[in-house]
Amino acid sequence: MLGIKSYLRASFRSMSMQALSRIYTLNMSTSETVDSVVKEISAARIDHEVDSPNSNKVEKKSKPKKAPKDNTVQKPIAKKKEVKKDTGLGLSVKKDENFGDWYSEVVVQGEMIEYYDVSGCYILRPWSYSIWDSLKDFFDAEIKKMGIKNSYFPLFVSEKALTKEKNHIEGFAPEVAWVTKSGETNLEMPIAIRPTSETVMYPIFSKWIRGHRDLPLKLNQWCNVVRWEFKHPTPFIRSREFLWQEGHTAFATKEEADEEVLAILELYRKIYEEFLGVPVIKGKKSEVEKFAGGLYTTTVEAFIPNTGRGIQGATSHCLGQNFAKMFEIIFENEKGERSMVWQNSWAYTTRTIGVMVMIHGDDKGLVLPPRVAPLQAIVIPVPYKDADTQAILEECIKTVQTLRAAGIRIEEDLRDNYSPGWKYSHWELKGVPLRIEIGPKDLANKQVRVVRRDSFVKEDVPLGQLTERVGELLEKIQSDMFERAKLKRDSCIKKVENWDEFMCALNDKMMVLAPWCDEPDVEEDVKTRTKGETGAAKTLCMPFDQPDLPEGAVCFASGKPAKKWALWGRSY
Amino acid sequence: MGALRLLSPLHFTHCAYGERRTEVTGARARARTRSSAISPLRSSSLPLKHSEGESITPRSQDFNMWYLDVVASAELADYGPVRGTMVIRPYGYAIWEFIQTYLDAKFKETGHSNMYFPQFIPYSFIEKEASHVEGFSPELALVTIGGGKELEEKLVVRPTSETIVNHMFTKWVHSYRDLPLMINQWANVTRWEMRTKPFVRTLEFLWQEGHTAHATEEEAEKEALQMIEVYRKFSYEQAAIPVIAGRKSRAETFAGALRTYTIEAMMGDCKALQAGTSHSLGQNFSLAFGTQFTDENGQQQHVWQTSWAVSTRMVGGIIMTHGDDLGLRLPPRMAPIQVVIVPIWKKPDEKRGILEVASILENILKEASIRVKLDDSDQKTPGWKFNFWEMKGVPLRIEIGPRDLSNKTVVVSRRDVPGKHGKAYGISMESSFIKAYVKEKLEEIQSALLARAIAFRDSNIVDVKSYEELKTVISEGKWARGPWASGDFEELKVKEETGATIRCFPFDQSPGEKVCFMTGNPANEVAIFAKSY
Repeated sequence: MLGIKSYLRASFRSMSMQALSRIYTLNMSTSETVDSVVKEISAARIDHEVDSPNSNKVEKKSKPKKAPKDNTVQKPIAKKKEVKKDTGLGLSVKKDENFGDWYSEVVVQGEMIEYYDVSGCYILRPWSYSIWDSLKDFFDAEIKKMGIKNSYFPLFVSEKALTKEKNHIEGFAPEVAWVTKSGETNLEMPIAIRPTSETVMYPIFSKWIRGHRDLPLKLNQWCNVVRWEFKHPTPFIRSREFLWQEGHTAFATKEEADEEVLAILELYRKIYEEFLGVPVIKGKKSEVEKFAGGLYTTTVEAFIPNTGRGIQGATSHCLGQNFAKMFEIIFENEKGERSMVWQNSWAYTTRTIGVMVMIHGDDKGLVLPPRVAPLQAIVIPVPYKDADTQAILEECIKTVQTLRAAGIRIEEDLRDNYSPGWKYSHWELKGVPLRIEIGPKDLANKQVRVVRRDSFVKEDVPLGQLTERVGELLEKIQSDMFERAKLKRDSCIKKVENWDEFMCALNDKMMVLAPWCDEPDVEEDVKTRTKGETGAAKTLCMPFDQPDLPEGAVCFASGKPAKKWALWGRSY
Repeated sequence: MGALRLLSPLHFTHCAYGERRTEVTGARARARTRSSAISPLRSSSLPLKHSEGESITPRSQDFNMWYLDVVASAELADYGPVRGTMVIRPYGYAIWEFIQTYLDAKFKETGHSNMYFPQFIPYSFIEKEASHVEGFSPELALVTIGGGKELEEKLVVRPTSETIVNHMFTKWVHSYRDLPLMINQWANVTRWEMRTKPFVRTLEFLWQEGHTAHATEEEAEKEALQMIEVYRKFSYEQAAIPVIAGRKSRAETFAGALRTYTIEAMMGDCKALQAGTSHSLGQNFSLAFGTQFTDENGQQQHVWQTSWAVSTRMVGGIIMTHGDDLGLRLPPRMAPIQVVIVPIWKKPDEKRGILEVASILENILKEASIRVKLDDSDQKTPGWKFNFWEMKGVPLRIEIGPRDLSNKTVVVSRRDVPGKHGKAYGISMESSFIKAYVKEKLEEIQSALLARAIAFRDSNIVDVKSYEELKTVISEGKWARGPWASGDFEELKVKEETGATIRCFPFDQSPGEKVCFMTGNPANEVAIFAKSY
């Protein structure tokens, strides 16, 4: 038994799905073995995204041995809230009081997500999908400038591709969903739904790449992937099906691969900081946390102050030549020698939207950064009893036309079955950056009242300056949101020197910057020592931006000589 | 391929090309051996050719082989590791992206929002609309195991999303004020087909599916017709495919719909391709799912719905409409590369000057938003490049040789007009002139492809007055058009005896009384019969 386990672990350290598949071909003698093997594999699984294999392991261990039954068909959680919807608007939970409930409420009430009968699957409503689209527009244009091309690889992975030796299959890969039937007919071989596309793409890379002229091969795809996890699902943050882009590139030299890893990481930083207003820290993952099978992993790390948890924003991996070796992706160089390609892979997912909601949302609902907001401003008429309602409505329409012509995403809400107050709450809930109110007084004074969603600051703007002022305000909101979030985030980073300070900061829901010896065993040890109800601490990254390391500095955890500063924390 | 084309003195002959080809094939044979020796993962044993520049089966000789060769050689798609799946390569995907960009803008203009529904549908949803489940059940891919556990309820990998959409619409629609609800999603769908063909019919394909709910039948009907018109316009104006828009017969109507509208395209082998459909769903799904709203009078009503879709099949339609013996021919508006520049030098000292000018020209055309590619590789001969880019369907080729350099001119060749007639010599390289010239030529090619396709289509549709005539026309591989007022039984008989189905009752009907060619009964409209993909 021990032999099998360590074999598995070793396979995983060195390799990918293929190794993973090889595992299933081993003869498992007892069901206990299968269980433990499955657990091992989940711990070390190949992960393109966000959830660290090891945080998984820790949490898995704290769970009862038998995983909970899969309630495929769930009762929609939002049910109790539907009642509320009829009685009024707004959130029933405060962000600081119960963050988890606040989050699930705000994504539903803000009309981003609809819960669905299949657990862990969510409907992305136009309000959130439009944000995904605007991130996609930016990223897609940028990678095209870099010569990366879009393509599409199949959803289905044959068992043969997943399992190198096709002996009798005892177990199924954890997290993989399997198609076993077409109509009433059982398939001869079950077919897997991609959890990520290495096993689909790399055999074909091997076929397409022959000579150095076929390199670099730089592909990307926008698609859905499926990971049948049993961890508590959370909209955007952890779902069984999610949308992402996955880039897969192959180069003749390591230098080219290195350069691309960082160029892509910079795009991810822009997505978070410049579009979503979420500050992130760029860095490199530790040996324990890096993508299994890769050479090194770079990451942008965000932080959720309310829960005191770091969250992996997106990762850009240099895979080195490990996959090339596994999948025989070989080319003939200029000198006619056969050589293995250098590969990268990189991905960001719909998780981006969830992080943005968590960072900016407040007790009144979503707060959307203007650059990605589907609507940047909403115009609401405020008629009084004796006022000239028609003139107000006309002014609203005129305002919308003027601003729309200036390229602002704007609509009017002229519904007559809702009061202005109801509309204010509704659009606050949906997080529209600016509200423009037009009442009789505004009409008389040739002005409108503009209210910021992020700060609720009001100002009267003369009609003559409206276009210019609205443009300015949107930019100001965008930068203010980022600055506020950055201040908050910065106040959550604690620099420490020793273990006591470390624990203290961790318990204060901080990220901890600590001098570290950079040894995997020490990281494992820290995990064990910090394991508790709220989950163990791990390295989030080793920031590229390193403060000076004082001479003679020692590792906060091991007392050995420190090599660098590492950022630690509990995480999603 | 055998016909010797007239070539300018600078050009290499076909003979030279033939020699190169042998080399390439040889290299490929070696490559194949290598691949089968070292990689057990390569399960695809299908006869796709993978090497660029390889000759393709002439279309006139074997349409099906020609199609597969073009798809492979032009690097549009490759086979996936699972039977019946396909990898859409960048060149093919770029065509799909053009389709997406155009249609997405049109959907938004007409008031639709994009969103995303989960890929997994509980089996019980599918069962709710009886004719729907009957229509789809043999093609459903079912997930029964997830995360190592047997699922409590099997999940369907979406074949289409009407059921899940209705499930959600029921939650979102309460009052007439919530209507119309108009959404669209870009997604992958799965249908477990037995006989597959790249782009035309694959286990998994990409599409957009629009879903709308309306307060009245009239509004829904208007929407269904509006969307088929969007598709028709797209086909004509962008893809240069002269589709025939019309209504499906009852037997061919979408499972669960009242009426299905379709655009039918004639492929180069005269078979019909259903290139897009728009369904007026009536209240079938809203009754099954209880999708109701309170109308202005406070009455509970069921919504009226539509759904409509275009898929990656359209890419197959473009290939099979325009392609010729030499390969692909892309309509300029959708071509990922509209112009290829091929520099031609004989002596090494000519190379630098020519490449410099070629690169200047490339930038001039880029400035004018023309999608241009400069093929400056010195590994291949100009003759090889000509053939390669012709096979890839690039609408326009610009050649620059030493003589052109001294005259400050270029030679421009049209992909759609073979030989001397498609060539224009001594075209000035002056910036504003060449920009305008290229744009004009691209538009000419766009119109010419459409005109040619229309002429082909019209010469292959034959009006019939009797079943005997229909049989003859169908056996000649053409489309038959005749008055029809018969039922499902007769339609099935035609299908069994001739292999043809009713493609549609065209919207475009000539007035006047007609007599059904099958039964002799009075008929209101003509139907088009054809064999189809």
